[in-house]
Amino acid sequence: MADNNGTIKNDIKIEVKNLNFYYGNYNLLKNINLFFKKNSVCTIIGPSGCGKSTFLRTLNRMNDYTEDTKLTGEVLIDGKNIYNRSVDVVELRRNIGMVFQTPNPFPKSIFDNVAFGLKIHGIKNKEFIAERVEKCLKYAALFDEVKDTLYKPAFSLSGGQQQRLCIARAIATNPSVLLMDEPTAYLDPMSTGIILDLITSFKKYYTVVVVSHNIQQAARVADYSGFFLSGELIEFDNAGDFFTRPKDKRTENYITSRF
Amino acid sequence: MNEPDKNKIDKEDFHLNFPINKGYIKRRKIYNNIAFILAVVAFIIGGFPVFHIVYSAFIVGYKYLNWHFISTLPTGFPIGAQGGILNAIVGDLYLIVIASCLALPLGIGSGFYLSLFGKKGINSIIRLLNELMVGIPSVVWGVMGFYVLSTNAGLGFHFGFSALAGGLTLGFIMTPIITLLTEQAVNRIPASYIEGALSMGATKWQATKSVVVKAAMGGIFTGILLGVLNIIGQTAPLLFTNYYNTGMPTGITGPGGAVGDLAMLIFIYIHEPSRILHYKAEAASFVLLFFVFALDIGMRLITRLTVKIFEFF
Repeated sequence: MADNNGTIKNDIKIEVKNLNFYYGNYNLLKNINLFFKKNSVCTIIGPSGCGKSTFLRTLNRMNDYTEDTKLTGEVLIDGKNIYNRSVDVVELRRNIGMVFQTPNPFPKSIFDNVAFGLKIHGIKNKEFIAERVEKCLKYAALFDEVKDTLYKPAFSLSGGQQQRLCIARAIATNPSVLLMDEPTAYLDPMSTGIILDLITSFKKYYTVVVVSHNIQQAARVADYSGFFLSGELIEFDNAGDFFTRPKDKRTENYITSRF
Repeated sequence: MNEPDKNKIDKEDFHLNFPINKGYIKRRKIYNNIAFILAVVAFIIGGFPVFHIVYSAFIVGYKYLNWHFISTLPTGFPIGAQGGILNAIVGDLYLIVIASCLALPLGIGSGFYLSLFGKKGINSIIRLLNELMVGIPSVVWGVMGFYVLSTNAGLGFHFGFSALAGGLTLGFIMTPIITLLTEQAVNRIPASYIEGALSMGATKWQATKSVVVKAAMGGIFTGILLGVLNIIGQTAPLLFTNYYNTGMPTGITGPGGAVGDLAMLIFIYIHEPSRILHYKAEAASFVLLFFVFALDIGMRLITRLTVKIFEFF
């Protein structure tokens, strides 16, 4: 189920070329060039306000709704520039799931939260929806805890459960990329552990991009890792080299000051 | 980075030299009490007129407060000396329904547009116009209604002095209030709800109808409530578009389309040189107050219920 595009020659899923992002006149992202490989976990670390969340949001065009912004350069997903005029943003976002910093379940029941993504894409077959919801909740390691309370409000869950519900919701629409914006920032260590395990298991099916403050957590899940500093990509490398032998002095400073 | 001395704290100094102003600590308690007393005084000054209105309306009009009063049409001479105020109660319902038919879709729709769809430039123009609409005196709305809706002098609608002309005019007064409160209600919804829906590939309309409407329900109901309460008390626009009917309306336009109205009834009865009508006006004020009170409580209950029900969908 991982990719519908077996025809792509190489195994690059997302490629970012000369990406510049402006907020008003302020150049928030400066000339970003990098690529994410298929079925890998990439973490992006950096201090607050360095543009890493903004970068993540350029990958599924969530910045479209922020006023006064401008973007130059290209983001290629499966070889196609998602900023082309012909791209259907709705279909694009179906293909790219997103999990946010704070768990944001809708004010609906647990079942309907997951079913929402199927319903908005026109799926009406109730048996299919029920089956799919159960599968997604199982993938997100939540089903056993909620199988008796599927029709209770999502807000009755704990924070960690809510975040897993959001993950289940994000994978319900069968995406091939999963973007996660500091998914463990507000969670306790137990829930964090569960979610980090989930991220590792997800790379079988998805290309996962995780933004994180926490260097230890990033190191634990990452195959590749990048360091952002005031809008620039300082270093991007495979995780082994990145966390043990960083090439750039600034990366080293940032990593060691936290360890 | 090379001047750590600047930020270094002398530990002795830090612990010993915290200047405690004992006089100020005493005074701030007094300030606190003064602030509390001022708040109580403000409550009394603000609340007194309300209590006085309720009290005096009840004291003067209590002998008319019975089922007969609210279930019969006014009769006798001068008209209203006998009978009740049924015409005005029914008329108010006519006006509220007609005004709501115009103001709810228009107000809620533009509120959603402002907070979800609009662009900055257009939004500021719409907001300006909306605030202008709130500020227009109701008598001016009445004159507008007279020219545009009642007579065929303006656009040629010739509704006459009728419930339709009056109700639509009131609807225009109600619309900006609902717009304002709807926009505020939607803006209060955490952005993460909408972002969550959009990030899954929902269109803006899908996000609005399945997430936003439910979350903003409470605020929208408050807007409707305020709008209805506002128009219940209006008389000036009705002077020019509906005036008053002592009987039941036979339609909603043209001759026989005019309806009674509690606020107009009070206005007319108070003008009559008849003590009995003055008493009835006071009793009618009490009924109007009760109407407002019941509407307020009812709306709150409905809001709470719908919010609870929607949690399960």
